[in-house]
Amino acid sequence: MIRLAIGTLRRHRGAYAGTFLAALLAVALLSGGGLLLASVLTATPPADRFAAAAVVVSGERAVTVETVTHKKKKDKDKVKRKVKTERLTGAGTLPTGLAARLADLPGVAAAVPDLAFPVEVTAKGRALRGADGAPVVGHGWASAGLTPYTLRNGNPPGRGEAVLDADLAARAGLTTGAEITVTSRTGVRALRISGIAAPAGRDGLPAQGALFVADTEAAALSGLDGPTAIGILAAPGAGDLRAAVEAAIAGQAPAGQAPAGQAPAGQANAGQANAGQATAGGSTVVREVTVLTGDDRVRADLPGALPDYIAPISIFGFLIGITAFAAVFVLTGTVTLGVRQRLRELALLRTAGATPGQLRRLLSLESLLLAGCAAIPGAPLGIVAAETVAARFRRLGAVPPQFTVQINPLVLIAAAAAGLLVTAVAARIAGRRAARIAPTQALTETAVTPAGGQFTRVLSAAVAAGGAVAVLTFVPLGGPFGMGMSFVSSALLLCAVAALGPIAVRPLTAVVSRLLGAGPVGRLAGQVTRAEPRRVAAVAVPLVLMFAINATMLLNSRMLTGIAAGEQAARTAPATAQVTAPQGLALSTAETVMAVDGITGAAATIPTRIVVVAGGKPEDHAAQGLLITGTQPALDLGFTAGGLPDGGFAASRYLAGLYDWTVGQDIELRLADGHRVQLRLTGVYDRSRGFGDAVLPAALIAAHDPRGLVRGISVRYDPGTAERIRAAGPGVIVTPSSATEAAGDAQEQQGAWELMVAVTLGFTAIAILNTFAIATTGRRREFAGLRLAGATTGQLHRLAAREALIVVTAGLALGALITGIVVGTFSVAQDGVFRVIVDPATYATMAAGVAALGLLAGVLPARVLLRRQALPALTDDQ
Amino acid sequence: MRNAVVEVLDVTKTYPGGGARALDGVSVAFAAGTFCAVMGPSGSGKSTLLHCAAGLDRPDTGRVVLAGEEIGTLREPRLTQVRRRRVGFVFQSYHLMDSLSVWHNVLLPQRLAGVRPDRGWAKDVIRRVGLAGREDDRPARLSGGQRQRVALARALAGRPEVIFADEPTGALDLATGREVLQLLREAVDGLGATIVMVTHDPAAAAWADRVVFLADGRVAGELAAPTADLVAARMTAVSAR
Repeated sequence: MIRLAIGTLRRHRGAYAGTFLAALLAVALLSGGGLLLASVLTATPPADRFAAAAVVVSGERAVTVETVTHKKKKDKDKVKRKVKTERLTGAGTLPTGLAARLADLPGVAAAVPDLAFPVEVTAKGRALRGADGAPVVGHGWASAGLTPYTLRNGNPPGRGEAVLDADLAARAGLTTGAEITVTSRTGVRALRISGIAAPAGRDGLPAQGALFVADTEAAALSGLDGPTAIGILAAPGAGDLRAAVEAAIAGQAPAGQAPAGQAPAGQANAGQANAGQATAGGSTVVREVTVLTGDDRVRADLPGALPDYIAPISIFGFLIGITAFAAVFVLTGTVTLGVRQRLRELALLRTAGATPGQLRRLLSLESLLLAGCAAIPGAPLGIVAAETVAARFRRLGAVPPQFTVQINPLVLIAAAAAGLLVTAVAARIAGRRAARIAPTQALTETAVTPAGGQFTRVLSAAVAAGGAVAVLTFVPLGGPFGMGMSFVSSALLLCAVAALGPIAVRPLTAVVSRLLGAGPVGRLAGQVTRAEPRRVAAVAVPLVLMFAINATMLLNSRMLTGIAAGEQAARTAPATAQVTAPQGLALSTAETVMAVDGITGAAATIPTRIVVVAGGKPEDHAAQGLLITGTQPALDLGFTAGGLPDGGFAASRYLAGLYDWTVGQDIELRLADGHRVQLRLTGVYDRSRGFGDAVLPAALIAAHDPRGLVRGISVRYDPGTAERIRAAGPGVIVTPSSATEAAGDAQEQQGAWELMVAVTLGFTAIAILNTFAIATTGRRREFAGLRLAGATTGQLHRLAAREALIVVTAGLALGALITGIVVGTFSVAQDGVFRVIVDPATYATMAAGVAALGLLAGVLPARVLLRRQALPALTDDQ
Repeated sequence: MRNAVVEVLDVTKTYPGGGARALDGVSVAFAAGTFCAVMGPSGSGKSTLLHCAAGLDRPDTGRVVLAGEEIGTLREPRLTQVRRRRVGFVFQSYHLMDSLSVWHNVLLPQRLAGVRPDRGWAKDVIRRVGLAGREDDRPARLSGGQRQRVALARALAGRPEVIFADEPTGALDLATGREVLQLLREAVDGLGATIVMVTHDPAAAAWADRVVFLADGRVAGELAAPTADLVAARMTAVSAR
C-alpha cells in the first residue's frame, strides 16, 4: 500500500503540489502562531531586581477569588475549588512594621522594605526613559542593595538628591551634580544627582530604569504608605528562610473572616497571610501576602516595571485563532479538491479490484506522506513567520520591546501533527464518497462525483449558521469580546457557505453567468460554470474566506476607531481646549492649572484600571479618576441615568449592564493597588469608548494607582486664558479641542489588527492562487477537448478569464453577504446605527483586491497550462 | 489525384527524444467523398500522420495541403481557425465537454468559430446518428457508443471538408463499434463526407473504400476495396517485414 501511495504521489507530482503547498503553509502558520503564543505565555521577566534577596515578601499583585462548591453525593461531600485571578496594574503595600519583625528572624541579615513607584524624569528639558522606552521606577536607596546596584561614582542620595542608574545617566548625558525634574503622583520635584549606580556587570536592568532617592524621602515622593515588597537578605550560612518568613507572617496575622461588607483600609488589611477573606457572592476573595523565592521573586516587582505580556497573549491568541481557522479551512478545501480531481483514477483502482477500504487507506496514506513532507519545510518557515510578525509587533508597540520568539520544538511538533491530522481527516472525508463508487459505475461515470450528500450539506450548514446567529444574538458584541465574537460568527457563516458549497453557488452562478455571458466564449463560460457548481464552489469559497474574514476584521476595527473618535469628540465638545503634559500632571499641579483665572469649567482625568468581582470571577476594566471644577461642564459623558459622581462613581452603560447595577446602589470595587472601596453608583453614561467604563474620584485614584498622574484636562475658558494656563503649569500643552487625536492605544490596536489582516490576507491570497491552480490542472482534458473542437488558445484564455469573473462575482457576493450580516450586527451592537460598508474606500479596496487576485488566479494557471501544452493533449492515458 | 481534399507530400516528423523518425518521407492523398483507412502496427506512425494531415501537429519537413490551403507552415491561431472550419474529429476517447449538453457539444465548434450555427442541420445530424430526443442530456449520462455518436454528429454538424477519425471504435464493444462504422459509412455515402480513419482493426478497415498501410514511418502499400481478410493478410505481411 505504501509503495502504491508513493507511486501515485510521484506520478501526480503537479496535482499534489497544491495540496503540498497548502499543507506547508498551514503548518507554517500554525507553528508560527503557536510559537508566538507559547513565547508570550512562557515569557519570563528579563531581569530580577531582587537578585540579591534570598526571600521576597510581596504585597498584593492580583485579585484572587476562590469559589468552593459543595456537592452532596451519596453521603460523600465533594468539594470543588475554582480559583480565578486577575492581575492588578498597581502594587499593594505591606504593613510598615512587618520589615522590622522579619529582620529579627534568625538567619536574616536584613529585611529591606522596598518601595517601587513609577516616576517621570525630565532632564535638560527632555523626557528620560530607559532602553526601548522603558519606564523609570523610583526606589528608596535601601532597595539598591536588593539587586544590588552599587555606586560607580558619587554618593548615596541625601535630601533633595537622587542616584540614577548608569544606563539612564548615559542616555541623557547626565553626570553627578546635574539637575533633574521628577514628576510623581505626589507632585513635581527638582533633584540633584548625587551619584551614578549600576548592577554588577551592566549599566542598568533591561525594561526598567532606576532612580533612587533618600529612604526618608521615598514615602513622600511615592505617596505609598508602606513598602510594596520586603527583600530579605540572608546572613552568611543561613539555611532556607522561606518557612520561617511564612510562619512569622502567618503568626502575626489574626486568622479568621473579616466581616463582609465592611471595607477596612487596604493597608491595614494587606499584611494578613491567607487570612483576611471577604465573602463575595458565595466566593471568597483571597488576600495574600506572598512569600517568593527563586525565579518567582521577580513577581514582587512593580507590575509596570515588568514587560506586560497580558495584552500580547490575547492578541496572539486571536492571531492563532484566525490563522488556524484559515489554515484548516483552506487545507480541507484543497485536499477535498485534490481528491475529487482524482476520482477517475480512484474509480479505475476500484475496477482493478481495490476495496473501498483500501482506497480510503490509500488516500489517508498519501495525504499523510504529503503533509509529512510539507511539515519539514513548514515548521522552519513558521519560525521565520513568527520572527517577522514579532518584529512588526515590537515596532507597533503591541508587544514589549524585550519580547523574543522562543523556539519551542514541542510547538513545532504539535503544529506539524495538527497539519497531518487535518490533511488526513479531510482526505478521509473527501474520499469517503469517492471510495464508494461501484466498480461498474467506474467506467461510465468516472468524471462525475457521486451525487448526494445534500442532506448532510444542508444540515451542517444549518448548524453552522445557527451557531453564527446564536453568537450574534446572545453575545454582547459591544463588550471587549465583540471583535473576537464577530470573527467567530463570520467563521461560522463561512463554514455554512463552505458546507453548502454547490448549493449556495448554483443560484448565484445561474444569475451571474447570464449577466456576464455575452458572446460565444461568455456563453460557453456560463454553461460551464452552471454545469460545474462543485468546481465553482471549490474556487469561490477561498475568495469568500478572504473577503469575509479580512473585511469583517478591518471594517469592524475601523468602525470601532471611528466610533471611539466620535465619542471622544462628543465628550470634549463642551471644552475649549485640552491641556496635556508629556509627562502627565500630578493632581496637585492639575488643580493649580484648573484654578487659573478665566477657566469656567475643567475636568481632569487620571487613567487607571479597576477590578470588579462578580460571580466568583474578578474582571478588570479601564476607568478614570475624574476631578471636576468650575461652573460650566468641560466634559460631556452623555449620561443616560443619574449624573457625575460626587464622592461616588459612575459607570458606563456597558459596565452597568454587565453587572446589573442600578443608580443608587453601593458597589464594591478594587483599585489598581488592590485597595477595596465601596462606592455609590451615581450615574450611568454612554460615551465610554477610548475613555473607560467607570469614573471615580480623582483623589482616590491618585492615591491608589501607582502612576496616578493626570493625563489630560478638558478646559473651558474665556479668550486669552491659554497663556495663563501655560504659565501656571510648566511644560503643559494647550490644544484646541478640535485638534485632539484619538487615544494612543486605539491606534496601537488598529495597527495590530491591520497586521493580523495582512497575515491572513497573504495566506488566503496564496490559498486562492493554489486552489485555482489545482482546479485548472484538473481541466487539462477539458481544455484539450476544447482545442480539438476548434477553440484557439486565445479563446481558452478568454474562457478562463470569463469563468474567473463569474466565480469572483459569486464569491464576492457571498463574502459581502457574510460581511454585511456580521458587520451590520456588530455595528448595531455598538451604537445602534446600522452600517455595512463602514468605510467605502476600505471596502472598495478590499473588494477590488480580492477580485483582482481572483481574476489573476483564474487566468494565470490556464496560461501556464496552455503554454506547456501548445498542442492539444491527444493521449488518452490521463 | 485531382480532387484530393488532403495531400501529404514527403512529410517527415521526429519527436523530440523519440529517436527514430515517426514519419519518414510519407506522401499520400485522400480524395473527396471517400472513406479511407490508415493502418499499421503500433509505432508505424499512423497517428502521427493523422495529426500532421489534420493540422494538429506540424511536420518537420514536407507539405500538407488541406482543401487547397498549405497548412504545414501555418502557426496558431491561424491553424486552429483553418482546422475548425475544414476539419471534423472523432476520437477514441470522444473528447466531449462533460459540462455541456449533447446539443451544445454538437454546436460547440461553430460557436467557437463565431459562425451562426445551422440548427436545422444539427438537428438532422443528431437524428441521423440516432440521438434524437437526447439533446439535453450530458455526455456523462450516455453510453460509450452514444458518446461516439455525439462526437460524429459534432464532426458532421460543421460540414467539414474532411473528418479525421482516430481509432473511433477502440473503446467500444464489437456491436457498438459496428454501428459507429455503419454511421461513418453512411456519412460518406449519404452525405458526401470525406473520412480518414486510423485503425489497427482489419474488420474496421474493411468498411473503408481504400486502406493505406504504414510501417516504420513509411507508406507500405495500399489496398482498394478491402475486405477484413485481405486487410488482415496484408497487415501480417507488413508487420512481419
